[in-house]
Amino acid sequence: MNNKTVIGLKTEYLLKAFVAVVLSFISLLIPFTSKEAGGKNMISTSIALLSADKTAAVSFFLYLAVVLTVASLILGLVSYFRTGVKIAKAWMFVQIFATFFWTTLLFALKLILEEGGIEDNFLLKSAGIGFWIGLITVYCSLVYIMKLAEVNVGYIVLTILGVMWMFPILWILLTALRAEQGYYVGYFFPKHLTLKNFYDLFHNSAVPFGKWWVNTMIVAVCGCVLNTLIVLGTAFILSRTRFSGRKQFMNILMIIGMFPGFMSMVALYNILKGLGLNQSIGALIVVGAAGAAMGYHITKGYFDTIPKAIDEAAIIDGASRLQIFTRITIPLSKSIIVYQVLGTFLGAWSDYIFPRLLFGDRQSSYTVAVGLFWMTDFRRIDSYYTQFAAGAVVIAVPIVILFIWLQRFYVEGLSGSVKG
Amino acid sequence: MDREYKRRNFVTTFTRGDIFSKLSYVFCGLANIRYGQVVKGLLFLLLEVCYFVFLFTTGVNLFRGLVTLGEHEQGMGYNEALGIYEMQAGDNSMIILLTGVVAIVVTICFVAVWLFAISSGENARFNHDNGHHVNNFIEDVKSLTNENIHFLLLAIPVVGILIFTFTPLIYMILMAFTSYDNEHQPPGHLFDWVALDNFKTLLLSSEKLSQTFWPVLGWTFIWGIFATFSCYFGGMILAMIINSKGIEFKKFWRTIFVVTMGIPAFISLKVVGTMLGEKGIFNVLIQKWGWTASAVPFLTQTTYARVSVILVNFWIGVPVTMLMVSGILMNIPAELYESARIDGASPFVIFRKITFPYMLFVTTPYLIANLIGNFNNFSAIYFLTGGGPMTLDYYKGAGKTDLLVTWLYKLTADSNDYNLAATIGILIFIISATFTLITFQRSGSMKNEEGFQ
Repeated sequence: MNNKTVIGLKTEYLLKAFVAVVLSFISLLIPFTSKEAGGKNMISTSIALLSADKTAAVSFFLYLAVVLTVASLILGLVSYFRTGVKIAKAWMFVQIFATFFWTTLLFALKLILEEGGIEDNFLLKSAGIGFWIGLITVYCSLVYIMKLAEVNVGYIVLTILGVMWMFPILWILLTALRAEQGYYVGYFFPKHLTLKNFYDLFHNSAVPFGKWWVNTMIVAVCGCVLNTLIVLGTAFILSRTRFSGRKQFMNILMIIGMFPGFMSMVALYNILKGLGLNQSIGALIVVGAAGAAMGYHITKGYFDTIPKAIDEAAIIDGASRLQIFTRITIPLSKSIIVYQVLGTFLGAWSDYIFPRLLFGDRQSSYTVAVGLFWMTDFRRIDSYYTQFAAGAVVIAVPIVILFIWLQRFYVEGLSGSVKG
Repeated sequence: MDREYKRRNFVTTFTRGDIFSKLSYVFCGLANIRYGQVVKGLLFLLLEVCYFVFLFTTGVNLFRGLVTLGEHEQGMGYNEALGIYEMQAGDNSMIILLTGVVAIVVTICFVAVWLFAISSGENARFNHDNGHHVNNFIEDVKSLTNENIHFLLLAIPVVGILIFTFTPLIYMILMAFTSYDNEHQPPGHLFDWVALDNFKTLLLSSEKLSQTFWPVLGWTFIWGIFATFSCYFGGMILAMIINSKGIEFKKFWRTIFVVTMGIPAFISLKVVGTMLGEKGIFNVLIQKWGWTASAVPFLTQTTYARVSVILVNFWIGVPVTMLMVSGILMNIPAELYESARIDGASPFVIFRKITFPYMLFVTTPYLIANLIGNFNNFSAIYFLTGGGPMTLDYYKGAGKTDLLVTWLYKLTADSNDYNLAATIGILIFIISATFTLITFQRSGSMKNEEGFQ
C-alpha cells in the first residue's frame, strides 16, 4: 500500500495527510467553546446554533467548517484506499475551503457565539482547546495534501501575505468612497458608498487640492527632465572619462552625502531667502536639480557595464566625447533612464520635509504631500479624513499604474544598485 | 631644454619654472599670456582681480565677523544725535556666520581657480618649449565637447552642490561649535563660539541631554539592525517563493506586493498610522473579533510602538528587497541547485548552503548601505509615531521611538537648538562614515571599479 506509486502524486505524503485530516476531525469532538460556556465541542455548538432563534449571518462559516472537515475526512478515506490524481485534487479543493472557513472563524467566532446566545463577552484566548488543535491540523492537512498533489505550498504563504499587504490599501480605498464622514468609525466596510469625497476635494475653497496637484506636477515634470539630465551627465563623466581629481571628486560627494540632509535645511532656507526664492515652487525645482548629482551611483554602475570598446571604436571614427554621450551611451541606457525618471517623479510626490519648511503657511504653493499632511493634523483629521483618503487615491492610482507598467526597468535599476 | 623633469607638481612648478611660471603664482595667467593663451590668461587675471576687490571691500569684514560672531547685542542705546534712549538693532550672529561661510566658499573657489591657472600656465609653457601646439582660446572652448568634457558636464552639478549643499553644510558644521540654542536666538541675542562644549554636554555630561542621547543612539542601532535584516530576509523568502517552480501567475503575485511600493511612502505611513491609533480601525477590528478586550496601545506604549514601527517598516520594505532579490536569484547557476538536489539536499539545506551565501556575497554592500539608510530612516518614524510616545526621562521633545535624525529634526524645527542638532548631525556622519569604510574594505567591486569594463 505504501509502496504504491501514482504518476502526478507524491504518495509518501499520503499517510501524513490522512493522519492530519483524522486529527482535525477529532478536534471537532473536543471542547470548542470556553469553559464558562460549558466547553461544548464544535458539532454540538453547530447544532445548538441551528436550533437557536436568532443567529448571526456569519454562522454559516461555522457550519461550513464542520461540514467541510467531515467531507475532507471522507475524501481522505477514499483516496487512502483508491489513490488517484483526480480524487487527490478534489480532496485538496475541499481542504482549501475547509481551511478558509476555519480561518474566518478567527475573526467571526465572537460574533457567531454572542449573537447565537451561547456566550457573552467572548474572547478568542478563552476558546477551547479543540478550536486551536483544529486550526493547526487543518493547516497541516492542507500542506500535506498539497504536497501529495504536487502543488506548491507557497500559495498558502502568498495568499496570507497578499491579504495582509492589501488590507491597508483596501482600507484607504473604502475610506475614500465612504459617505459617512469622520476618522473614528467602528466598522471596516462603509455603510454607504459615494464619490462625493472626490468632488469635495476639488471644490473646497479651504483645501485647494487642484492647485496643489498642479504644483506637484510642475515640480515632478521639471525635476524629471533636469535631474535626469544632470545625473546622466555626471554619471557619464565619472564612468567613461578619466581626469585628474576624479577620485577626489567622488570622495567629496560621498562625504557630503553621509551628512544627514535635514541638518543643512535651515541654512538652505536662509540662503534661498537671501536669493529671494523662498515660498516658491521654483526653489523646490532648483534645489532638487542642484543636489541631483549626488545620486549618480546607480547610473554610474550601469554605465560601467557598457563595454569601453564601443567608445574606443567611436573615437577612432572621429566622434567627440559629447557625441559618444548623446549618440551612444544615452540610447543604450533606456532602462536606467526610466529608473531615474520614475524615481524622481515618485520623489516629487512624496517629498515632505523640505517643502514643508520652504512654504511655511503659504497654502497656494503647497505640494500635495504638504497639503495632505495639513489635512491630517489632529485638529482637522476628523473633518477631512475621507477627503484625505480620496486625495491619497488620486495621487496613488496614477503612480501605481506607472509603476506596474515600468516595473521591469525599475528592477533592472535596482539590481544595478546592488553591484555597489 | 634641460628644464624638463618628470613629476611636475605644484611645488616643482615654482622651484624649477621660469620667471613667468614663478610670477604667475602672484599674477594668475601670466604664463598663459606669455605662451600664447592671451584670452585665457586675461580671464584668470580678471578672476583674481575680482576676488581681491571682493576681499578688500567686504571680505575682510566678513572674515572678522566670523571670528567675533557679532559684538553689539540688541538693546537700549543712547542716540546722541537725538538725545534720547532708543531700541538699537544689534548684530545678527546668524547672518554674520552665514555670510562668513559664503566668504570661505568664495575663497575656496578662488584657490581652486588659482591652482588651475598655475597648472594651466605650466602646461602652456611645457607645450611651447617642447614645440607642441598650444591651444588658442577657440580651441580650448571646442575641447569642452571632447577631451575636456568633464568641465562642461560637471559645471552645473558642481555649482549646484557648492551653493545648495556644500555652503549650508559648512554653515551647520560650524554651528556645532557655537552656542546657537533656544536661549541665544538672533536677532535678539548674540551667540558665540564654544569650542567642543556641545559635544561634551551631549556625550559626557550627566545631564538630561546625554541621558537622552545614549538611549536614542541605542534605539537607533536596534531599529537599524531589525529594520534592515527583517526586510532583507523577508524579501528574500518572498522572492524565493514567488520564483519557485510550480507557482503560476508570478506577475500577479509580484504586482500585489509592488502596489505598496508605488504608493508614496508618506501616504501609506500616514494611513497605517491612523489605522493603528487608539480608535483606529485595527483596534476597532481586533476588539470586534474578540482578540483583545481593550484597545492595544500600538503607538503609545514604548515596546508596542517599537515593535509596530518595525512591523510597518517590514510591510513597506519587503517588496523593495523582493524585487531586487528576484533579479539576483535568477543569476544563481541552476547547476548548483540540480547537483544539490541529486545529492539529496533538502530545500532548507540548499538555502543555507547555496542561496544564502551567494546572496550575502553579492548584496553585502547593499546591506550596509541599507543599514546606514535605516539609521537615518526619517519618514518611517516621523510619519508613523512622530517619535512618540513622549517621555519625561528625555530632553524636551524626544520620544521613545525617536531616531537620531528625527530628534535632530525636532531640535531644529520645534525647539530651535541648532547647535545640538548640528552636533548630532556630525555624530551621525561619524557613524555613517565608519560603516561606509567597512563596506569599502569588504567590497571588491568598490575597490576595483575597472573590473567590469
